[in-house]
Amino acid sequence: MTRALLNAVRTGGAEIWAHKTRSVLSFLAIAVGSVVFIDAFSAIFHTYERLEQQREFSGLARMRIIQNQAASYSSPDDYVEPPTFGYEELKKLRAQAPEFYMVSGEARSWRNVMEYGGERVVASVAGVTPEWMKRDFGYTLRGRFFNWHDMEDKLRVCVLIRKAPPPPGEKIYRKVYSNTNAFDTLVTHQDLLGKAVSIDGITFTVIGVAEEFPQSRRMQGFSGWREQTKVLIPVTTGANYGIVRGGGQLEVSIDSGDEAAFDDAQRKVNNFLKINFGDGDFFVVENQLEEIRKNMAARLKDALVTISLGMLAFIAGGIGIMNVTLATVFSRTKEIGVRRAIGASRSDIMLQFIVEAVLLGLTGGVLGSVLGYLWGVPLKVILGMGASPIKPWMPLISILIAAVTAFAFAIYPAWVAAGLKPADALRAE
Amino acid sequence: MTISCKDLAKVYEGGKEGWPALRGVTFDIKPGEFVAVTGPSGCGKSTLLNILGLLDEPSGGSYRLRGRDTGAMSDAERSLARRDGIGFVFQSFHLLNRLTAAENVGLPLLYAGVEREPMRERAHGLLGRVGLQGKERKTPLELSGGERQRVAIARALANSPEIILADEPTGNLDSASSREILDILFGLNAEGITVVMVTHDRELAARAGRNLRMRDGRLEA
Repeated sequence: MTRALLNAVRTGGAEIWAHKTRSVLSFLAIAVGSVVFIDAFSAIFHTYERLEQQREFSGLARMRIIQNQAASYSSPDDYVEPPTFGYEELKKLRAQAPEFYMVSGEARSWRNVMEYGGERVVASVAGVTPEWMKRDFGYTLRGRFFNWHDMEDKLRVCVLIRKAPPPPGEKIYRKVYSNTNAFDTLVTHQDLLGKAVSIDGITFTVIGVAEEFPQSRRMQGFSGWREQTKVLIPVTTGANYGIVRGGGQLEVSIDSGDEAAFDDAQRKVNNFLKINFGDGDFFVVENQLEEIRKNMAARLKDALVTISLGMLAFIAGGIGIMNVTLATVFSRTKEIGVRRAIGASRSDIMLQFIVEAVLLGLTGGVLGSVLGYLWGVPLKVILGMGASPIKPWMPLISILIAAVTAFAFAIYPAWVAAGLKPADALRAE
Repeated sequence: MTISCKDLAKVYEGGKEGWPALRGVTFDIKPGEFVAVTGPSGCGKSTLLNILGLLDEPSGGSYRLRGRDTGAMSDAERSLARRDGIGFVFQSFHLLNRLTAAENVGLPLLYAGVEREPMRERAHGLLGRVGLQGKERKTPLELSGGERQRVAIARALANSPEIILADEPTGNLDSASSREILDILFGLNAEGITVVMVTHDRELAARAGRNLRMRDGRLEA
């Protein structure tokens, strides 16, 4: 049996080699299927990896208090000016919930002008509190961050965010990530720590420079990375000088610190809102865990769509292989007759053609895996899409699927070959 | 009796009632006989040989091979009987051009599950026996017609069959090669192998121990 199998592999290999063009065309669709599968596997894996990263990095027990944009009024007369959840409310909530790991308020502005040494650059400023450091803090800090004294005294101090350097020696990364703007260039080339800068015409002292983690160590969570923010100032200072708009309205991020106690924490926050702002539903508490779950479900759905496309490619490939195997059977009918005459059984003949088809499938699977890797790692990076994590089991599984597909689609042609009567097969021209 | 046929009939499909190739053929062949089957084209010689070689099944009558009723044999049993008991020599050689002479000879051994080395030795030995030493690695396309037929005979001998069925083995050969092939076949017969040979050649048939003359699907008296 082993000898017959080895011989079938050898004959199959020679046959595939003898009809290179036909063979390549037949396994091309299988290769495409493999590429698509690897991409989908990678997407699924990446989703779970990110969830894990998020859990490690900041935990999942997060929620956000945001203004209820969906609030509706039946007539303009019913309109009530929504109340402000400002710094004072934030302090009050903090005092009532000391067990929370983080209660961070943030007010953002998108377009401010920073000036240093006669150079004016556009920057986005965010007003934050000291607890900002507890949220997704993917930075290496030089100098110091804000303290409560800065908040209370509305001091004109700021922390600048410096872009991560590209990974050393990686030309591709350099090309992709070198789209730095004037602010990044200024902060990268000048050491501004301790210097005075002007933001929207008001002088601030730079008390810290926070450098982003390099791309490779950067957390890719689901809550959205605030790439845009370039300058941090105390939220109170921002409101006081009118640098951040929104009348002191804050977006509040809360980390209850404990996934298990999350429901209780959410109830506590809702109660706080009700007591302080009434039943007006001016605010909503967004459950980040819920958001992550929704996000993950959407990503998994995308991956499933991709997988079904891959399945279609595999089926197309299988049909191609079936077609080629049938053609091979007909072009080698006489050979089948000779083999039968000298003692090959029907199963020997079946084995011969199935092995040939599986070899085609395997070749397609291997080619697809190589292409899938090239697509997932260097090509996607060159195209600025971010590399897909490809684990060794991904190509292995897609090669296996390719082989199984080829096997399944070869059964019919092999059965036709085995069913030929030896005398008829020998008479074939 | 090695071969025993009774009222053997074969009707090919086609037309209203089919096309009869054999119309009741009865004969026996004893072990060690050299039998020539002769007759004009289309008289059913090759059909008879295919049935004797278990490559085809009769539409009627019975065929017993070494005492066994072949009508009751499964496809696997027929394959096994071909592999171990019957060697074929065809007019157009039917060698696989992709394989070397030695590999062609070894093919029946492969299906018998013989290991690589003994298979190689046996193939080389058989090729030596038909006078093809040194040509083991040549492919059929590199050999002359006579040499190809000798490879085919070596292949037929691979599993030491009791019967050799030859269908016009010299039909595609010049007279010198034909003589060599016939000498080999007669030599094998002298060693005790039963040979059944289909031929057009009356002179050749005369050399055989026994002659079955056919006409219109029947044996002539």
